[in-house]
This record gives sequence, structure tokens and C-alpha cells, in this order.
Amino acid sequence: MAPVTPSIRHFSLCLRCVRQLPTANGTPRRTLSTSAAAREEVQTQPSTPAPPVPPPSDDTTLTPSTTSQVIPDFMQKWGTLDPQTVENKKQERRLLRREHVQPVGSRRRRAVLRRSALQKATEVPFEQLPYQCFQEARKFLLEDRQEKIKDIETQQLRIRNLMDQDPAVSGGPAAKESRLRSMRKHFNELIILADINDPVVKRKFEDGQGDMNKPIYRYLADQKWRQYKRLVLEQRLTQMNVVPDLLPTLDIVADIDLGFGRKSVAPGDFVLSTISEKMPRLNVQIFTPGERLVTILVVDADVPDLESDSFTYRCHFVASNIPLSPTRTSIPLQRIAQEDAKSEDVSAKKIAIPWVSPWAHKGAPYHRLAILVFEQKDAQPLDITKVGKTKRENFNVRSFVDKHKLSAITATLFRTQWDESMAGVMERAGLKDQIAVELKRRRVEPLPHKRRTERMR
Amino acid sequence: MLLPRILAPVCASLQATSKLAAPSKHVLDALRAANGTITSAPTLALTSIRHASHQSQGRANGAKDGPGKRLGAKKSGGEFVIPGNIIFRQRGTAWFPGENCKFGRDHCIYAVESGYVRYYRDPNLHPKRQYIGVALEKDHNLPYATTRAKPRRLGMVAVVNEVDAGDVRVVVPVDGSEGVGVEGGVKEKDKTAKVLTMGRGYAYREANWQIGRTAERMNVQVKQFVPGDRWTAWKRSQARIQANEEKKKLRNAGKKGGAKKKQVRRNVA
Repeated sequence: MAPVTPSIRHFSLCLRCVRQLPTANGTPRRTLSTSAAAREEVQTQPSTPAPPVPPPSDDTTLTPSTTSQVIPDFMQKWGTLDPQTVENKKQERRLLRREHVQPVGSRRRRAVLRRSALQKATEVPFEQLPYQCFQEARKFLLEDRQEKIKDIETQQLRIRNLMDQDPAVSGGPAAKESRLRSMRKHFNELIILADINDPVVKRKFEDGQGDMNKPIYRYLADQKWRQYKRLVLEQRLTQMNVVPDLLPTLDIVADIDLGFGRKSVAPGDFVLSTISEKMPRLNVQIFTPGERLVTILVVDADVPDLESDSFTYRCHFVASNIPLSPTRTSIPLQRIAQEDAKSEDVSAKKIAIPWVSPWAHKGAPYHRLAILVFEQKDAQPLDITKVGKTKRENFNVRSFVDKHKLSAITATLFRTQWDESMAGVMERAGLKDQIAVELKRRRVEPLPHKRRTERMR
Repeated sequence: MLLPRILAPVCASLQATSKLAAPSKHVLDALRAANGTITSAPTLALTSIRHASHQSQGRANGAKDGPGKRLGAKKSGGEFVIPGNIIFRQRGTAWFPGENCKFGRDHCIYAVESGYVRYYRDPNLHPKRQYIGVALEKDHNLPYATTRAKPRRLGMVAVVNEVDAGDVRVVVPVDGSEGVGVEGGVKEKDKTAKVLTMGRGYAYREANWQIGRTAERMNVQVKQFVPGDRWTAWKRSQARIQANEEKKKLRNAGKKGGAKKKQVRRNVA
């Protein structure tokens, strides 16, 4: 056990909000899609109604090879580290390093938990805290919740009745459909409203322990994403003209994280050519229920075309039939490629066009490499061999989308340009003849306004 | 003589006021009574003159009529421009730069691509602003459609560099013998050779990491630093102080005369 540390300093540190450590240190970031089951919970069971939990998605095809790594001796000396009670920075760092787990909640809360554990104080469950105002408020919220649940039941009944109704009675099938749609929308709103005021739900969400199978946590995550991250992504995509250049329009409905190896890449960042030689890893969080198949497309939108004095597009990578759901967010392309290489069956493969490392000529303007995620129609798998026939050069995203009946759900991009290591990257990619080519600005002839003519003399 | 038309109200008023006031013999008084403006005292002459409180001429009002600044359009719509051509000169931002145009430092608008000038509005971008753009082709209209890929021009030519694969390196032997040669790459592992690479300012210099490892290359042995070893620290500081004093003596050796400055003695323990 770590020694008991002086608390005053740590409390003053805690008063500032403790920021979650960034993902750069190679640990899996706490995502919302996984609820920590193993951790003991101080509180009682949440009062959420728990809509039918779908069976856990079979991650057997893509599960990481969980090799039990041998913990070195010096790490074992650190003693037990509980993510609920680690209190100072050092211990948090050690927890990340050894157990690859992020600490839970604020440092202030962890300090209190630890102190009460040390003093062997009786742990009062959150809902039974002995504050009168708190209890009154809880009572009020519970009443409101009962009301909402009653509303949900009636709405359910109404929907069922309407579905049984003859379309002729309800004014035609179109009118019936539209009524059903609006009723379902209201039903979903009620489900959210029933839980939105629950302090336990709020706490679990803020701790990153929300279960993305439940609508309330999906809703909260969506709201949070829309408040900042989506705005940034949308701005980058429009300012760097991904949207009119590659796709006519794009309504981003899924959160996307891009990274190469350990390094996460903000949308629009410049990535060194050696780093982007390997395939990126993606994390796509969707906020609507259900399993679906997606196609990933990586396109270079700035390939210089010297003949037409313009730019064309080049396809760098296509992978199809990748399963995605609210709880299944990770798309490790490296691992997918490894599994593809192992599998004998051609139709079971996922990568239609393998990765080509992004490259740029010396002196050329920067290349935008857009990563587009498309949802396949009706979650139907695509024929990989057919997709694989797509030509890399002079690639056209619009026709590709039309041909395979795809709809874009999200996109991100990174940029690449000539750097010191580009020559090596191009040599390895089999582009040795292109290394020596340098692009230079063409001289523009001045306008012939000032030329003296015969008449002017 | 008064006309009967004027006289008639006068007579009427005389009749009306005759009961209240003594009948006036003066016609003017009667007229005043008829108008209802009976003043007891005769009015004073109220003639006011407005003096100039602000000088209307001269330099006080500033020069209003300076030389013209030659503002306005330098290129009209549809005219061909090349990069750098100024299209519009203005004070403030009556016009904004649109496609393939930029603001100059005085808000003048100049072209960054060669093409044809267009004056247009773009309600999708801003509801009120008016823009000046350069269309790349003669038949293009601005603004471009928001759902189509924007036409762009590369404006570059490909040049094949003769020296391929990597940077030019100049190998300079450290011992000073001549033999500054340009090589494609350094093959021999001569640790004492300085490898000069062309840096950013076109100057041949050692890379920073190589400068940092000079001591290692030269086998310089450094005593290990022991934190808290005051004895060594004291010895070294004494040596430094003495060296400084020696230096000062040497500096002052040439000087003669002048008042001797009071020496600040360091406490040499």
C-alpha cells in the first residue's frame, strides 16, 4: 500500500478540475462504450429501467490477443492501485502505466473515498446520504420519473393500437406512417426524459462508465460530442474543402478519432511520412442503436495533374464490411489487415484495396488525405472482389458512393507534404522514379499593357 | 385713412370695450385692443446680432479638398488578370476578396490566379457582402456551386533534380588537410570527420546533434557531477575567482595613474 500522503496540498490541487490524461501515453482511453463491470460500486444499483440489453457483441473476430504481460519487479513494488482511490499524480501515472486504467472521477472524490476507507468509516450509499434537502429533491425527481414511466407506457399502448389500425381508418398508409413516426419520436424523447435528471446516471456518465447500449448514455454522449468536438471537425472539413471536393454534402453523425500507432492526430494535422506509412487506427462512435457494416475510404484529394494543370484524386485504401455498433467502436486497420492475410476465404476479407503510404512531391502544395466512413445500405455486405476492382488513379468518390449505395456518416482528414523522410518512404513504396521530381512554380508572363507600339512613338 | 373694412372691427371693438375702458381716442390703441395684445409699456428695441463663434475660413476647418486618391476599380468585370494585379482600390471594405483574390495591406483587392474578374454576391457566405473574384475560365460564373468540387489550378512545372536520393553532403576532414569533396552519401565511418549538410540558410554546417556529440567524439572526459559535493564546488569557485582577479590585473597593468578604485573584496575563507 502506498504511504498515507499529506492531504492539504493534494486538496488544493484537486480544487482545480482534474483533467483526464491524454491518450498519447499509449493507454487505451476510457471510452463510453464499455462499462466497467469489474469495479466494485459503492452506490446501490441505479434506478434506471434498463431497457433490454442486447447480447454482448461478439468481438471474437477482432479481440486483441490479450497476452498476459509479465509485470516487472519494480512495478510490483508499487502495491495495489485502485482506480477509485488513487489520489496523487504519481499514483495515477503508475496506475496508467501498470494497469492501463484511467482513474475514476475527480481527484477530490478519490481522496475522500480513500480517506473514508482509511478511517474505516461506514460507506453510506449515494442515494441514502443523510441530507434533508438532497432527499427531498430525490423524492421530487422520483415522482417525476414515475410520471414519465406512465407516459411511456401509454405511448407504447397508443403506438401498438395505431399499428393494429386499418390504414383506411387512419387516413391512408402515408398518414399512418407519418403519425407513427412522430409517435415513436415522442416515445424516444420520453425515454430520455425519464432518466435525464437522475444523479446516478449523470455521475456514471461523467465517470465514463455509461453503457452505450442504453439510450440515455447515448444521448448524453451525443450531446457532449456536439458541443465541441463535432464543431471542430465540421469546421476543419469545410475549411479544408473536403465537403465540396469529395462529397457534395456531409451530415456528421458519428464521432471519429484518428491515430497512428500511439499518436492521436487532430483533424487536419500534418503527419510525418514515416508515421503515415503504417495504416491508421480509427475509433468511430455512433450514437444510434444497432449493428451495421461500414466502408472505410482513404482518398488523397490533391494529386497534382501536370497535363491538365489541375488536381486529381487517388484512392489510398478501401476496406468494407467492417462491423460497427455503439459498443463496438474500434477499427484497428492494422489488425484487420493481419487477419485478412491469414484468412484463406476471399469473400471473408475486408480490405479491398490495400494501404499505400501517402506521398507528396517536393515543392508540391500539401496533400489532404480524407478518411471517409460510409454506412452500407441495409447493413448488407459488399462484394470485396468487386470493390477491389476500383482504380486507384483518377478516383472519383461520388461515383464510388453511387455505385455501392453508400451513405457517409463521418469523415476526418490529415495532411501530408514533402519532408526529410519522404524519399525513403517513396522508395519503399516503389516510387523511386518520383523522388527526384520537384514541382516549381510556373513563371507567369506579365500582361502586355505597357508595350510601346509604332503608333505611340 | 383707414379703409372701412379695417374700420369695421375697430368700431366693434370700440363698442365692446367702451364699457370696460374709457374710449380711446387713438386708433392704434384700439387696434391693439382688438388684437388682444394690450401692453402697458411701449416695447423696447430687441435687435440681436449673432457673432461668429467659430472661424469659418482658414485652417481651423481642415483641408477639405485634397488631391484625389485614385480609388476605385482598376479592372472591370470580365477583364483578364494575372497574379498580383490590383483589381480594386478602396478605403475600408466596400468589396471583399472572393475566389482567387486577397486583401492587400490597404484593403485593395488583388488577384492570386490568372483569370477573369467577376464582381458578385455570395449569400451563402455572407448575406450583405459584395465580393470580387477571379474565375479561372472565361465561361465560369461566380460563386461556384457549393456541392461541386471547386476548380483549381496547379500552376507548377515538374523539374527533375540531377542529384538524386537525398541531400548533398560535404565531407571535411577535421585535421585540416584539403579535400573538401561532395559526395552522394558518407560511407566510411570516420568518426573524426565533420559532415557538413546544407542547412536552412544555404550554409554548410554540422547538424545540431553532431555538435552536441562533439565532446564524445573527441573523447573528452568530464568529472562526474556529485550533487551536494560542496568541497569541489568551493574549490572550483575559488579557482574561478582567482582567475578573474588575474585577468583584472592584466587588464589594469597597461593603465597608469588614475585614482585607485576601492576594491571590493570577496570574502575568501
